[in-house]
Amino acid sequence: MGDIIRVYWTLLLRSLGQTMLLTLLSLFFAFFIGLLFGLMNVSRNRVLNFFGTVYVDGIRGVPLIVLAFFIYFGIPTAVQAAGFSDFRLSALAAGIIALSMNAGAYMAEIFRAGILSVDKGQMEAARSLGLPYGISMRKVILPQAIRTMVPPIISQFIISLKDTSILSVIGFPELTKAGSIIVGNTFAALEVWGIIGIMYMIVIVTLSRFAKKLERRLNVSNGG
Amino acid sequence: MSAMGDDIALNQSADKRVMIHIDGLKKNFDELEVLKGINADIREGEVVVIIGPSGSGKSTFLRCMNGLEKITAGVVKIDGRDVTDPHTNMNKVRENIGMVFQHFNLFPHMTVLENVMLAPVELKIMTRQEASEKGMSLLKKVGLDSKADVYPPQLSGGQKQRVAIARSLALNPDIMLFDEPTSALDPEMVGEVLQVMKSLARGGMTMCVVTHEIGFAKEVASRVIFMDAGYIVEEGTPEEIFSRPKEKRTIDFLNKVLS
Repeated sequence: MGDIIRVYWTLLLRSLGQTMLLTLLSLFFAFFIGLLFGLMNVSRNRVLNFFGTVYVDGIRGVPLIVLAFFIYFGIPTAVQAAGFSDFRLSALAAGIIALSMNAGAYMAEIFRAGILSVDKGQMEAARSLGLPYGISMRKVILPQAIRTMVPPIISQFIISLKDTSILSVIGFPELTKAGSIIVGNTFAALEVWGIIGIMYMIVIVTLSRFAKKLERRLNVSNGG
Repeated sequence: MSAMGDDIALNQSADKRVMIHIDGLKKNFDELEVLKGINADIREGEVVVIIGPSGSGKSTFLRCMNGLEKITAGVVKIDGRDVTDPHTNMNKVRENIGMVFQHFNLFPHMTVLENVMLAPVELKIMTRQEASEKGMSLLKKVGLDSKADVYPPQLSGGQKQRVAIARSLALNPDIMLFDEPTSALDPEMVGEVLQVMKSLARGGMTMCVVTHEIGFAKEVASRVIFMDAGYIVEEGTPEEIFSRPKEKRTIDFLNKVLS
């Protein structure tokens, strides 16, 4: 086991970095996708509700691996067939799009729940002051919603971090892919997957600890 | 019945401008009819107190005036502007009507002063500087300028409601609506809120107050409206309603609350 780490530590750390990069970028985009569709789903406009629901149900109804294949293999083929013959999509770009869309759907539900958790009287008070819906949402509702959303957002972060391993199938050099490569070279499956598992665990446990702390601090400042 | 009542009750202020005009107002929540046809005119400077048993539609009536409830049928005009007309800019109408809620609804993530400043700043009616000065002078008026930088969760109920009143005055509205402003307060805090409301009334504010505070109604109201089961049953001066009520339902209700 020590040998494997000594020989492959740069590859392991670099792929862990790729995993983190993919997760962070995806979560960043997923936040805005979630905000957009979450707002659509709490609005009183039926058309917006419809499209919001279609997106959330549609994405949640498709396994991430299928979505990743669709984007990585399907979309370039279609674009090339449409005449753009040198169109390419990198594994990183395809991975970010797939993971952002996937996490965005769950994030939309987190936003929806967060917004609905704010007392109805807050929106009424804001509107009764003559503030338009958008300003009321931005200045009064969302700042309060975000507080209740911190724990589910971090748990989504952890889920997305683990989901990046699925993207090894499109050849993205993240941690799980690195595991396959090292096993291929060394045939030491037990040790390698053990090391990979522990690396994921260290990052995720650290994140959960941080989440708990943050949650406690938010509860304190919300108290009273 | 109320259209006739209006002419009699309002003889003392009949020359004043009609601030709130309500004609045939109906409101249904799905199958449930809450307001079944309300007529009322409220004139400039009037303090109208609405009383009645719970579930009689008082709060809904009030919430129809600033469009917080969608109106099923009838007309509500605020200072000439038709609330039921989809072309009316409701935000503009609401700038002219302050509303105070039973549960205060202060914004807990903003300081007291920020609560008061929010509307004038966001609506670009005042600069931050002007809004801050206006906010401080309003807080002074309700006796809470020392709490400007405090967050609402640290205030008592009575203080919260006084801040809420200051907040709703920030845009200099001509009309103020109060929806059971003292019902959620501990008894010892009712007085300080009523005090602020009285001084507003004395300043000539047009007010519409849903309340169970009969003492306040007797002292301050220019007119009392008694509602039951979605109708205005009886209206008149406090003297008329409290000392010589005509309708049986009014008498029954007053017997219950005054005993």
